Amino acid sequence: MKREIPILLTVLCGLAITWSFFSQSDVSKAVNAELLAWAVVFFSVAFLLGIGNLIRISLKQISSGHRDRPYKIVLLVVLLGYLGIGIAEIHGWLAPLATGTDPTGQVIMSENVRRDWIYYRIFQPLQATMFSLLAFYIASAAFRAFRARSFEAVLLLMAGAIVMLGQVPLGDTLTFDMASRWQDFLMKYINAAGQRAIIMGAAFGTLATGLRIVLGLERSYLSE
Amino acid sequence: MANVTDFDRRWIFLAMGVLVVGLYTTGAKSPAPQLEYVQAYYDVIEALPDDSIVMLSADFDPASAAELLPMYQATIHHLLRKNIRVVNVATWPAAPPYTRNEFNQITPQYGKLYGTDWVELGFLPGDDVAMAQMGASLHSAFSTDSRENKPLAELPLMGELGDSLQGIDLLITLSAGYPGILEWLAQVGGRYNMTILTGTTAVQTSDLYAFYPSQLAGFIGGATGATRYLELVSEQTEAMVHARDVNQNRIMIQEWAHMLILALIVVGNVLYFAGRGK
Repeated sequence: MKREIPILLTVLCGLAITWSFFSQSDVSKAVNAELLAWAVVFFSVAFLLGIGNLIRISLKQISSGHRDRPYKIVLLVVLLGYLGIGIAEIHGWLAPLATGTDPTGQVIMSENVRRDWIYYRIFQPLQATMFSLLAFYIASAAFRAFRARSFEAVLLLMAGAIVMLGQVPLGDTLTFDMASRWQDFLMKYINAAGQRAIIMGAAFGTLATGLRIVLGLERSYLSE
Repeated sequence: MANVTDFDRRWIFLAMGVLVVGLYTTGAKSPAPQLEYVQAYYDVIEALPDDSIVMLSADFDPASAAELLPMYQATIHHLLRKNIRVVNVATWPAAPPYTRNEFNQITPQYGKLYGTDWVELGFLPGDDVAMAQMGASLHSAFSTDSRENKPLAELPLMGELGDSLQGIDLLITLSAGYPGILEWLAQVGGRYNMTILTGTTAVQTSDLYAFYPSQLAGFIGGATGATRYLELVSEQTEAMVHARDVNQNRIMIQEWAHMLILALIVVGNVLYFAGRGK
């Protein structure tokens, strides 16, 4: 039964969702909406499971004196602190810091509100900084790794150079308005054709996999 | 310096840093080129009649805000100036603080009322499944709005819209990755025959050409596309002029950063082949 019940559930859910694509009946729509609502609930529960697992692993590493111990402590403090502040503010357990109202009379969530303050003053700059570092690493990689070692590498380099030139006005100035035209040609025809071929291939693959799951032939999700 | 691997890459970091900070400090500007796809994005919104309903999905987080937030702000201005009503959702958990802040700042400029002219439904977990669920039943996906925690039926705009996406005239997603535009196209675009526009980071832009113009009516790609869109919107919207100028400065920085990277590729290859010949 350990195998049969999950397979039966998968097959029934798969058939119900597929049915909703072909049927306009209220029953199929209702079943589809209900199953999707369950899936969203599962996703939400997965968040909780993820948090629980993260806390469990972090506590284990902290207690065992793991070399990442300081980072794990920071992680737990931030995780639980932000979660706690968020829950407390949503339920009004903390004194409000918001100062204004909008034309509808709704209290404006100014950045003085604690969780927004944390978001804008800590989370946003940290994440933006991490992403900004890419500019430096790309520049370094351009110098050290982009080599014209083979015909394919030359094609790749040329395509990259054309797109980089075509993307900015200066590139057009330097190439007498040719860069943006070449870039357009590359993106519109070569790139779009390749992308469509990959997308269609992946779509057929997904269809085949879906069919195998619905028919009970594909059981890798059961660790078989 | 004959061996490329011996070269101290901190010099490259320094050159890039000086270039970016220097150009940022001078405030030098460069206008964006004409872009067919951005013009299409702009024209689709311009062609919407008054009181149309648009679903605006924020599918990004602070890491990509430099590229996507200007598009997001300009899109809100553009929609509200046209008296288009907006249903605001997010499939990325870090997006709602942005969306709330932007709507708080922009809606009063146009005298728009919450619940009637715009609605904030907030974040829905589940990635593609969440999108499919919005398509199947909005009221099942969101039992209440995220701003006032009211049942959707109590909000005039949602009451008019009903339970499905059929009442939505246009879907716009500002997308930084997964879940984003590709999932909206797969889950909602074809099934509900919905017109879709998107703004994405530059690295995602190449994915979009395959869908334009059949499944995707227009798109904004990266900082260049954002600047072009800001230029178009700022022609009618004074509030966007400063943002346009800031973005034109970004284009100036970007174009010289591109030149530096191209120069590094050339120099790296010259040194590599010179070293190999010895």
